[in-house]
Amino acid sequence: MAGAISRLNRPTTARRPTHDPVWVRWTLTLTALAFLGLFLFVPLAAVFTEALRRGVGPYFEAFRNPDAIAAITLTLTVAVIAVPLNLVFGVAASWAIAKFNFLGKSVLITLIDLPFAVSPVISGLIYVLLFGAQGLVGPWLQDHDISIVFAVPGIVLATIFVTFPFVARELIPLMQAQGNDEEFAALTLGASGWQTFRRVTLPNIKWGLFYGVILCNARAMGEFGAVSVVSGHIRGQTNTMPLHVEILYNEYNFVAAFAVASLLSLLALVTLALKSIVEARSHSIQTVQP
Amino acid sequence: MSIEVRNITKRFGSFTALNNVSLEVRSGELVALLGPSGSGKTTLLRIIAGLEFADAGSGQVCFNGEDVTHRSAAARQVGFAFQHYALFRHMTVFENIAFGLRVRPRAERPAESEIRRRVAELLKLVQLEQFEQRFPSQLSGGQRQRVALARALAVEPKVLLLDEPFGALDAKVRKELRRWLRELHEKVPITTLFVTHDQDEALEVASRIVVMNEGRIEQIGAPDEVYDRPANPFVYNFLGNVNLFHGRIHEGLVHLGNTAFAVAGHDAAASVPAIAYVRPHEIKVLSRPNGVGSLPALIRYVNSAGPLVRLELERADDRGPFSVELTREEGRGLALQPGAQVYVELKNLRVFADDYSI
Repeated sequence: MAGAISRLNRPTTARRPTHDPVWVRWTLTLTALAFLGLFLFVPLAAVFTEALRRGVGPYFEAFRNPDAIAAITLTLTVAVIAVPLNLVFGVAASWAIAKFNFLGKSVLITLIDLPFAVSPVISGLIYVLLFGAQGLVGPWLQDHDISIVFAVPGIVLATIFVTFPFVARELIPLMQAQGNDEEFAALTLGASGWQTFRRVTLPNIKWGLFYGVILCNARAMGEFGAVSVVSGHIRGQTNTMPLHVEILYNEYNFVAAFAVASLLSLLALVTLALKSIVEARSHSIQTVQP
Repeated sequence: MSIEVRNITKRFGSFTALNNVSLEVRSGELVALLGPSGSGKTTLLRIIAGLEFADAGSGQVCFNGEDVTHRSAAARQVGFAFQHYALFRHMTVFENIAFGLRVRPRAERPAESEIRRRVAELLKLVQLEQFEQRFPSQLSGGQRQRVALARALAVEPKVLLLDEPFGALDAKVRKELRRWLRELHEKVPITTLFVTHDQDEALEVASRIVVMNEGRIEQIGAPDEVYDRPANPFVYNFLGNVNLFHGRIHEGLVHLGNTAFAVAGHDAAASVPAIAYVRPHEIKVLSRPNGVGSLPALIRYVNSAGPLVRLELERADDRGPFSVELTREEGRGLALQPGAQVYVELKNLRVFADDYSI
């Protein structure tokens, strides 16, 4: 209402204080577009053109290769293990941080950010140093015939480490902003801890949680550095999709490399689409319900 | 159900929120916990509710004589209304009110039809029948607080605890809700304890007032009792307007400038500094000395708008300012002009030795 009135009162030709001259606006917009085009759209288009350079046949041929199938299966397996685990860890950690005060809380917050601060290669190396043949517990593992490094468990561990912050980072600010009052209210109304979580906390954080899971999943499937260190690059056994792309590329098998890469790119596009839907959805919820 | 709090102490780090507090609320009473922010009133309320726990080994909370000190909030069966309502934002008004019934264990949970009947009844009680399908964000502040109260009442609590129930509302809605709360308490006479920092709210709504300051209870009494006979300077200052007259006490007389007034209870005091407290409406303005005990003063400012005539005066001896409220009739016979000299008689003088500072 107020906006409508002020718009009526204002002469239409008047310059608003926030409006820059036309040439400034155009320059800024074009610079941004050019930058986006050069660094995002062109590479993305290149992935698909390279993949389809020899037509649809060779493109789909790349996915029939047993090693490619193994890589795709492994990537999905890792994501299926890592994402749910980080979902549980993330919710538990943000619940503890946002709703309670305890000794060492700031240390925990810092630790959650650690995977973001450390280079993924280092993250992978940690596991090699811990579980490798020369590592701390390596000999013990060897005696008991357990393989972690250069095997699937190592890849899963490295992926969990790298994707650990996504869910928690998304939820902590959200839960802190919402405060404890609704949980306290549920408690005084006789709800148990689990009922409070399921009926009050979870519905309030579900979109933030979903958003965190999407990002976590995208990273879990796309992680290269940490996984590369622990995987050992055994074809058909410990190669994930990003590693498979690298091997194919190094062998000058460009069509196959770009074909698998296009699958990862598609995943990224789906993630982006989901992300914007979730964002719009959670935004509308938050504006309707302050 | 009666509430009894015995020797409760609560510290947050080095800050003492409650210092050995004891309190008794009789069954069916409507009691206000009144105090400035930081006085510990909300902490006390939350300890009674079980949302906060007193320091280990410090005291007890009893409901009807039964020790509930270590019981959880869920087990205490109290209704609690939060200052910012804490309605479940993703639920409709109906589901908010039904929540307490729906989370009961299966054996005790009422049938769906019974839940509907109960919620409808409560919606009628809080006059929000047509809002049951709205979300909290679609309601005004006053409506939200009424939903919060209905939600608290749905579980048929033995005790109703309200934390600054009208604190976040504008003045007009506050006044309406005060009256509404009193009426609600007549209809549903459960023991109610509410926290407020608003003296008018406490005086108007409560049947008894507990005045708190710095983690201690300063006075407990009926509204007119705490207003007319404050136990100490803090209560005097906190409840209503008051004038301070600095002087000395000597053998049962308080000397303000050249005038002495007899006061009871200070016979032994040998000339110590003292402060006399008088409310603005307890001062009589005269055009000439009454011969017994009246202070000369100058009128600085006159405001005669409204039902009362308000004067700002200044003592002739030490130029200490004070204010007076007269009815229009009392003011009519006097020549009330700024700059005029008048004499004031202090009718209900309370003197405290000057060891208290604001």
